[in-house]
Amino acid sequence: MNNLFDLLLQKPLPDPWLQGLLFVSFTLHLLFALFTLGTAILAFSYLLIGHWGTKPQAVGLAGRIAKAFMSHKSLAVVLGVAPLLLIQVAFTIPFFTSVTLFAPYWLAIIVLLIVAFLAFDLLAHFLDRNRLVPLILGTIGLLTLLAVPGIFVLILTASEHPSGWIAIIGQGYRLNGPLALHWLFRYLHVLGGAVMFGAAFHYFFAVEDTEDRKSLLRLLVAGTLLQMVLGILLYASLPDKPGMMVNLALFAGVAGAALFLWYLFTLGNTGEVPLPLHLTVFAMMCILVSMLLGRQLIQNRTYLPLTASLQEKTRAHSRETGAFAQESLERYQAKLNVVYDNGATIYANSCAFCHGELADGAGPEAKNMEVRPENLAAVRTTAPYLHKILTDGVPGSAMPYFSFLDRNKLDALAEYLNATHHLLGKQEPVPVAVSAPDRRQAGQEYAQSCTPCHGMDGKGTEQARDYRPPVPDFTVYSLTPRQMFEVISNGYHGTLMPSFGNLPEGVRWGLVEIVFAKRDQGGKR
Amino acid sequence: MEFPIFQVPYLGNGMTIALDAVLHVVISHGLAIGAVSMVVASEYLGQRRASRDWECFARDFLRVIVFLTTSVGAVTGVGIWLITSALAPRGIGSLLRVFFWPWFIEWGVFTAEVVIVLIYYYTWQSWTGERKKHHLRLGLGYVAAALCSALLITGILGFMLTPDGWPWDKSLWSAFFNVSYLPQLVLRLGIAYSLGTLFSVGYLVFTRRAPDFRKEGLAFFAKLALFSLTITLLSGVWYFEVVPSAFKTHSLYAVMTSRFSQQPELFWGITIGGAVFLLLFWLAALRKSVTSVRILVVPTIIVAVLFVAQFERVREFIRGPYLMPGYMYANQVLLEETPLFARKGMLPSSSWYNATARQGDPVGQGAYLFAQNCSACHTVGGINDIVARVQGRTADGIYVILGHTQEMVPFMPPFSGTDQERRTMADFLFHLADGTIKLGAPSRFTPLNGGSAHE
Repeated sequence: MNNLFDLLLQKPLPDPWLQGLLFVSFTLHLLFALFTLGTAILAFSYLLIGHWGTKPQAVGLAGRIAKAFMSHKSLAVVLGVAPLLLIQVAFTIPFFTSVTLFAPYWLAIIVLLIVAFLAFDLLAHFLDRNRLVPLILGTIGLLTLLAVPGIFVLILTASEHPSGWIAIIGQGYRLNGPLALHWLFRYLHVLGGAVMFGAAFHYFFAVEDTEDRKSLLRLLVAGTLLQMVLGILLYASLPDKPGMMVNLALFAGVAGAALFLWYLFTLGNTGEVPLPLHLTVFAMMCILVSMLLGRQLIQNRTYLPLTASLQEKTRAHSRETGAFAQESLERYQAKLNVVYDNGATIYANSCAFCHGELADGAGPEAKNMEVRPENLAAVRTTAPYLHKILTDGVPGSAMPYFSFLDRNKLDALAEYLNATHHLLGKQEPVPVAVSAPDRRQAGQEYAQSCTPCHGMDGKGTEQARDYRPPVPDFTVYSLTPRQMFEVISNGYHGTLMPSFGNLPEGVRWGLVEIVFAKRDQGGKR
Repeated sequence: MEFPIFQVPYLGNGMTIALDAVLHVVISHGLAIGAVSMVVASEYLGQRRASRDWECFARDFLRVIVFLTTSVGAVTGVGIWLITSALAPRGIGSLLRVFFWPWFIEWGVFTAEVVIVLIYYYTWQSWTGERKKHHLRLGLGYVAAALCSALLITGILGFMLTPDGWPWDKSLWSAFFNVSYLPQLVLRLGIAYSLGTLFSVGYLVFTRRAPDFRKEGLAFFAKLALFSLTITLLSGVWYFEVVPSAFKTHSLYAVMTSRFSQQPELFWGITIGGAVFLLLFWLAALRKSVTSVRILVVPTIIVAVLFVAQFERVREFIRGPYLMPGYMYANQVLLEETPLFARKGMLPSSSWYNATARQGDPVGQGAYLFAQNCSACHTVGGINDIVARVQGRTADGIYVILGHTQEMVPFMPPFSGTDQERRTMADFLFHLADGTIKLGAPSRFTPLNGGSAHE
């Protein structure tokens, strides 16, 4: 199987390494994402309390909190690169499928983040200068920012439940039923985490006095309690039964959180000693890691078997395509050697499949078309008319427009056609001597049968120029005498041009003369 | 492997990526590399010449740069990835396997960049006196990290155009260090400093500065800019030298599109006119004419951004039918899948089609075949509208053309599917063009009439 090659089957690292790195890098990313969200929520809340509430001094705290936003959001973004890379490599199918299922929301993340980031960085700048501007910026920033975790949670929730995928594509970008409820609790759980981690961060880095410290401590306690309640709801809303390992990891997290709360409460009872930094970081990271471990184990329960079964299918598909690997590479190499910068190459590739290698209108595809390709070798026309047909195409036929080739290329093509088949050459004289009566009858015939479409002047009547395909303009376009005689005698297949084979041969040659005369008149004019 | 298909309606996939990517290139090259380097140079001049003006200019300018790069710059950068994840999942999923390690290392470099620039920014006031030297080193450290990012990302970008060995040996090294790597790297640095000096001058003339300092600054940046522009021009020529002729020959069309492809003189007029305009602007700056610079700087930035857009458009467009050279077409079909689908059929191989669409309905089949084969580039009713492309053609004509897209239009991939499927899609397109078929959900190419209702 050495010719087997499908990039989506390749793993740059063994699975345990990929999953381990994904877990570590995701934890880091989430930590800063929570700091970012928490900073935004806290800054805006203290801003409201300060400007519109009873504590004007809260504006100062809001300002100190908001200052951290720039660093947090920057780190949250860059730290997201690794988990995004790793999840796309480790769990390609569930992740990308979910992304494409919710593509509009996924794309909206870009705009939402830019608006939110700009709004909050500006907010930090305007905070103590004005009341209204920060309120507007904060509202816009918070609304856009809070939408982002909602979308990420949506994508992950959908990716973990492949049985719902078909339903999602039918419903148009929505989760339904129990999954929607599960999404809601999961999203709120992220926001609760943001308050908890944001409060803890700013407890150490933004407070100035005991008042601030007490306020943030209250938020930390409230956030932790809220997380416990939301956690229970989230657990209850899990669509599938979590296994033993999941329960163990979550239990460790809950136990850690309970211990942490107990510690916070006792501290509140014993007095106003600030929390020790190291212990708090340790405790909160323990809670975060065990909770995320539980989450990862839940995710793996669907991701792993799904990925394995799809890999099996892909491997089978790859074996089938592998048979064509060598010929595809050769065709690729051949294509690299073809440069569309000269008439011969362009004709051979872009025209010959219909008009034929000999330009006689008998290319391999000619038989598939009702309107037969033109016998180019027999055409005598002008450069502008040819260029117009090349750029406009011929409506009502297969002839497309070729303006995807620039002017230089189309000129080269025209030159090539002229050099090989005198396409832009002079009209040749009629090789047969037409008798006077035949000429007279041909004149009557043209006036009677031809003018309704071609017009007396040969330019074509208004109406016939709208035919599909339209009539040609005889003042700038004609054929070799033999070909013209042929078309008059047999008509043009697939168009309204009928056969005049019932007319005497001499009259038909007389008609050729008349049509050619239009070209001469057109040329003189 | 296969994913549900989504297209940004009307705008199309290419334009969506382009809007995000051009913004990102302007900020990442112009601000994150170019302008920050100017800030470090200005800080150095402030120390060297004991000039408060240079010092303050550097400090104030950095604030604006950090504000824009950490928000718009970083998000649009990741944005390119987010957009391609939704619009070309199979392509990006494959690409990041080829470049897994550069990509992973870039994560570290990117993080280092952000951390250093934040420290650089926040310690500006506090690291004074003896520590100022360290502060300057920090600035240089940031520039070094940003250059590392450029080294890594250029390798990934260059791959898509000039794959010398990758399609054959499938090794990271031949993908990364392809022949266009070095010229493209120099070109991008040229662009970075050309834009960086331009933004610096813009900031200089529109903020409150001492008149003498302003003139000194104008002359300083103008010299650097003229040098960078020369490098940009030379490396641009070098870059085009190494691009295979089969790709390069479509450059003019890439810029002019169908609408203007027959007026090549327009291209040269605008390009040379734009270059002369840039030159005149910098000569005015060199002559320290603050008023001219003030009037001209915004138009000059627009011209410069258009040049960047033009380069990126050409680079993206001329790789033609391939998303990954010799491996995957732009429509995410593998080169080796086309002959397989010609025998087995595209529809029987499409699990999403089989799971969602009503079977045996020709309109639904045609729509799905169009989505798979064409929707990477063609919209319905928007940019590069397929209706305008097939308008006026007969159904049998469309059928014939579909069998020869890759020869007739050198930058189009072939149709993948059986002869019957080709006929089905031709009829679909014919009726889409004559208005008898309409799409209900353009983003997923779900037809309004004729079915393909979901179970």
